[in-house]
Amino acid sequence: MIAPVARTVRRRLRRAVAGAVACAVLGSGVPDAAAAAGQPAAALPAAADRAPSPRNASYSIDVRLDTEARRLHGRQVLTWRNTSIITTAELQLHLYYNAWKNTKSTWMRESRLRARGRGLHGRPASDWGWIDVQAVRLLGADDAAAIDLTGRISHIAPDDGNPDDETVLVVPLPARVFPGDSVELEIEWTSQVPRPFARTGVVGDYYFIAQWFPKVGVLEDSGWNCHQFHAATEFFADYGVYDVRITVPAGWVVGATGAERSVVDNGDGTATHRYHQADVHDFAWTASPDFLERRERFEHPTLPAVDMRLLLQPEHAGQEARHFEATRQALRYYGEWFGAYPYEQITVVDPAWRSRTGGMEYPTLFTAGARWLAPAGVATPEEVIVHEAGHQFWYGVVGSNEFEHAWMDEGLTTFAAARVMEAFFTEHHRSTRLLGRFVPRVLRDVPWSRAIDGNRMAGYRRNARMDAPARPTYRYWPGTAGSISYNKTALWLHTLERYLGWPVLRRGMAAFYERWRFGHPAPDDFFDSISAASNRDLDWFFDQVHGTARVFDYGVQALTSRRDAGRGFFGAGGEASFAEGSGEGGYETTVVVRRYGEGVFPVDVLTEFADGHQEREAWDGAAEWKAYTYRRDARATRAFVDPDRVLLLDGNYTNNSRTLAPRATAAATRWSLRWLVWLQDLLLTYGFFI
Amino acid sequence: MIRALFDGIGRVLSAPVLVAGVYLLTLLLAAPLTLALHDAIASHLGASVAAEQAAAGVHWAWWEEFQAQARGFERTFTPSIIGFGAVLSNLSAFVDGASPAGGLAVAVAFYLAASTFLAGGILDRLARRRRLGAAAFFAACGTYFFRFLRLAVVAGLAYWLLFDLVHEWLLEDLYEAVTRNVTVERTAFVVRLAGYALFGALVLPVNLLLDYAKIRAVVEDRRSMLGALLAAGRFVRRRPFSTGGLYVLNAGLFGLVLVGYAVVDPGVGAPDGTSPWTALLIGQAYVLARVATKLVFYASQTAYFQSELAHAGYVAAAQPAPPAAPAAEVLADAAPDAGKAPAS
Repeated sequence: MIAPVARTVRRRLRRAVAGAVACAVLGSGVPDAAAAAGQPAAALPAAADRAPSPRNASYSIDVRLDTEARRLHGRQVLTWRNTSIITTAELQLHLYYNAWKNTKSTWMRESRLRARGRGLHGRPASDWGWIDVQAVRLLGADDAAAIDLTGRISHIAPDDGNPDDETVLVVPLPARVFPGDSVELEIEWTSQVPRPFARTGVVGDYYFIAQWFPKVGVLEDSGWNCHQFHAATEFFADYGVYDVRITVPAGWVVGATGAERSVVDNGDGTATHRYHQADVHDFAWTASPDFLERRERFEHPTLPAVDMRLLLQPEHAGQEARHFEATRQALRYYGEWFGAYPYEQITVVDPAWRSRTGGMEYPTLFTAGARWLAPAGVATPEEVIVHEAGHQFWYGVVGSNEFEHAWMDEGLTTFAAARVMEAFFTEHHRSTRLLGRFVPRVLRDVPWSRAIDGNRMAGYRRNARMDAPARPTYRYWPGTAGSISYNKTALWLHTLERYLGWPVLRRGMAAFYERWRFGHPAPDDFFDSISAASNRDLDWFFDQVHGTARVFDYGVQALTSRRDAGRGFFGAGGEASFAEGSGEGGYETTVVVRRYGEGVFPVDVLTEFADGHQEREAWDGAAEWKAYTYRRDARATRAFVDPDRVLLLDGNYTNNSRTLAPRATAAATRWSLRWLVWLQDLLLTYGFFI
Repeated sequence: MIRALFDGIGRVLSAPVLVAGVYLLTLLLAAPLTLALHDAIASHLGASVAAEQAAAGVHWAWWEEFQAQARGFERTFTPSIIGFGAVLSNLSAFVDGASPAGGLAVAVAFYLAASTFLAGGILDRLARRRRLGAAAFFAACGTYFFRFLRLAVVAGLAYWLLFDLVHEWLLEDLYEAVTRNVTVERTAFVVRLAGYALFGALVLPVNLLLDYAKIRAVVEDRRSMLGALLAAGRFVRRRPFSTGGLYVLNAGLFGLVLVGYAVVDPGVGAPDGTSPWTALLIGQAYVLARVATKLVFYASQTAYFQSELAHAGYVAAAQPAPPAAPAAEVLADAAPDAGKAPAS
C-alpha cells in the first residue's frame, strides 16, 4: 500500500499531465452537453502509419485439439519487444494451466480458502489439467540457427515462493535484450484440458479454451510483472498481434478472439480455422459441434459498425434477440459514454450447461450465461452480457493489471454495466430459482435497483472491512475479493457520480479511456483523470475508498421539536419575574447527526417542518456529531442526513432519517403477518407426513 | 375411491372444530415467533423514515439492511415470503431436502409432536362420524398417543432413511453423476424431475402404510403398532390401485387449494392501511383450507378402510372417556348407586 501523503504528492505532479489529456479529449470533440445528449465520445483516431497498441507481444500459434485425449498440442512463435527502460536477460511466461496440476499449486491452495473452492480438490483424475513445455528455442535473425533453451527453463514462484507452483516459467536468454530490442521464441507444448476450472476447460463436446498457451509476462520499468496464477485474480499482458490456427474435428463450430480468416478442411476428419486479431492482449477460443451460429450488425450514427457473432446453445434458440439487444445496447452506451469499441467484431459465446465457463471476458469475445427457462422481466442473460461487454472497454482496451488492481476492470465494469441496465432494461425484477434451481420465480414486487442490486450492495456490506483496495488484489482474502473489487468500486463510483454529477464523472472516465487505450494504467492514473475532469482535489475521497477499508455510516441520533416559551426568571435585575413555560409560541427543534463510521464524507442535513418548510445544511461530516437547532412556528416532522443518498457506501441507511411520527409498528405488522402465513405453511409442509 | 373422497370431505365438513383446532395449533406455534419477528423489524426500523415506505410496500434497500443484521430465524424474512411464493419456496425447499432454516426446526418439531398427539383424537372423531366432545377427543388423543409415539419411531426411521439417505443419494449423488456431463439444461431438469418422481414413488407407499396403520390402530383398537403396520401393509397390498388412487385424488384436492391461493394471492398488496389485514385473511383462509385438505386425507382413507373391512362409523373401542376427577369420584361414591361403574 502506498502511503497517502506520498501518493498525494505524486498525484499532484501527474495531475497536470492528466488535465492536459482531459483537455485534449474534450478539445477533440467530446463536449459534455453532447455526451449528455447521447452523442458519442471520441472515435478511434486514424492510425494509418502506426498501430494503436505497442504490439510488443505477438504470437503465431498452431494448435491441434485431440478430442479423444482432451489434449492440446501447440507450437507457437512469440515475438517480444522490450518496451521498458531496462534490459533483461530472461523472459518470464505464464503457464496458467498448471494451476490445476495438483492440490499444491497456489491457485488450488487459495481456492481452498473460498467456500466454493473446497469441492475442487476432490475431483477425479480426468478433471485435472496441466501444460508441459517440451521445447523452447531462440530463433535467430535471418538464417541464423535457433538456440535450444529447453534445458535452461525453470519454474519460479515470485509471489509466495511456493516450490510446488508451476504457473510461471523462466527462460534465461543467452544475451540481454535492450530497450527497444526484440526476440523471437519458438515454443512447443502440450496441455491437458481440464474439466472447467476458472472458466476454461471441457464438458462433453463443449470446449472453452482460455489461458491455454505459454504467455509472456509484462516487463515494466521496475522488472518483470509475471504473477503466479491466484484464485481470486485474473490476468495481465502486453498487446500484440495474434495469428492462430486451430485444428479441430471437421464440422465443429469455432469461435475465437478476432476474425476468422479461413477454414481449411484437412481431409483427415479435421479442419483448421485461422483467426487473426491485432492490438489485443489475450486470445481465447471455443469449439463445439452443437453451436448455433447467428450474426447481426451493430450500427450507430456516430460509432463504428461492429459485426456481432453469437454462438448459441440449441436449447436457447429463441433467445437470440435478447443476446443481440443486450450486446447492442452495451456497445452503444459504452461507446457514447467512454469511447468507441475499436474492433470490427465481437463474439458472444453462450456456454454449455454446467460448464462453469459463463460470464467471462476475453478480447473481442466473451461468454454470456442464458438459462433454458428465462422469463421476461428477469435480466438473464442480459445482465451478464452487459457486464462482459463492458470488459471489452475496461480490460480489453484499457489493459489494467488484474493481478494487482482488479477493481480497475471489475469495479469500473460493474458500475458501468449497472448504468446500462438501468438505461435500457427498465422492467427488471429480482428473482429466485426453485426445484433444484431450475424453475424461475420472478419477484414482481421487488424491482431491480441500480444502486442496491446493480452495485451489489449486499456483498460489500458483508465484507466491507476485509481488504483495502490499495492492497494488491492477489493478496486479498480469496473468499471476499469480489466484494472489494466489484462491489465497493461500483459503490464509490456511483457515489462519485452523485457527488460530482454524471457529466463530470463521464468526462473523467472518457479521458481515462482515451489516455490509456491499449496501455497499462495504474490506480493513480484513474484518480488523476477524475480529479482533472472535476477540477477538484479528490485525494481525500480516493485515499479513503482506495487506500483504506474504512466504512461510512452517518445517522440521525435525535430529533426533538417542542414548544418552548421559556421557563425561569425573565427581565433585568429586580424586574425579573419567574415565568412558567406557557406551551404557547414557537417550536424549538433540535437535530443531532452522528458519524458512526470511520469514513468522512460531506453530507447534507435536511429537516422538514409541518408547514412544508425545509432547512438544508451542508455538513462536512468530519466531526463525530453535530447538532442543529431551529426555532420556528411549525413543528418539525422529519430529519435526514444525506437525504439524497449521495453516499452509497453508507451501508446502514435506515439510521439516516428520523421522524416524529414513526411507522415502524405498522411496517412490522405488515411484514410479520406475511411471514406468519409463510411460517404456518412451512409447518404444514414439513408436517405433511404426520 | 371417489365415494371415499366425498365421504371424507363430508366427515371433515361436519367436524369444523377439528379443522379449527389444527389451524389454531399452527397459529399458536407460529405466533410467538411472529411476535419476535415483529419486534425485530420494529426495532430495526426504529423512528426511521424508512418505515413509511416499508409500511406501504416493499422497501428493498431497507430489507437488505435488515437481512444483513438478522440473526437466527429472522434470516428467513426474505422476499420468498410474499404471497403464493411462500408456498412455492416451502414446497421447493421440502422436495429439495432442505432443513427448516434459521432455528425454525424447533417449531417444526413442536408441530410434529403436537400432531402426533392429536392424531389419535382426530382419527377417532373422523372414524366415528359424530361429535364426541372435547373430553372424549382428548381422551382419545391420550389413548393413542403412546401407540402413535411407538409408530412415530418407525415412521421417523423410515422418513430419515428416505429424506436423509435416499434423498441425498438420489437427488444429489445420483443426479450429479447422471448429469455430470450433460450440457443441456433441459435434459438435466428432466433428470431432476425423474428424481423427484422416483423419490415420490418411494415416499408415497411409506406414507400410505403409516396412514393406514394409524387408521387400523384406531378403528380396530390395535395396541401393537407393528401389528397395525403389518395389517396396513396387507390392506394396501391387496388394494394398491384404490389406496394409491385415493391418495392421488387427495393430492389433486391439495393442488386445487394451491391453485386457488395462487389465484387470490394479493402479493404485496396495495399500499393502504387495510391491505395487510386483507392479505392476512386470505392467507389464513388458505391455511384453513390446507388444514382441511390434510384432514380429508385422513377422513377419506378412514372412510375407505371402513367401507372395505368394517362399516361406516365403526370403531372397535368404546368411546373414550376421560378419567374421573377425584371430586367426581367422591360425588359418585356418595350417590345412591355408588359402586356401579359409571356409564361411558
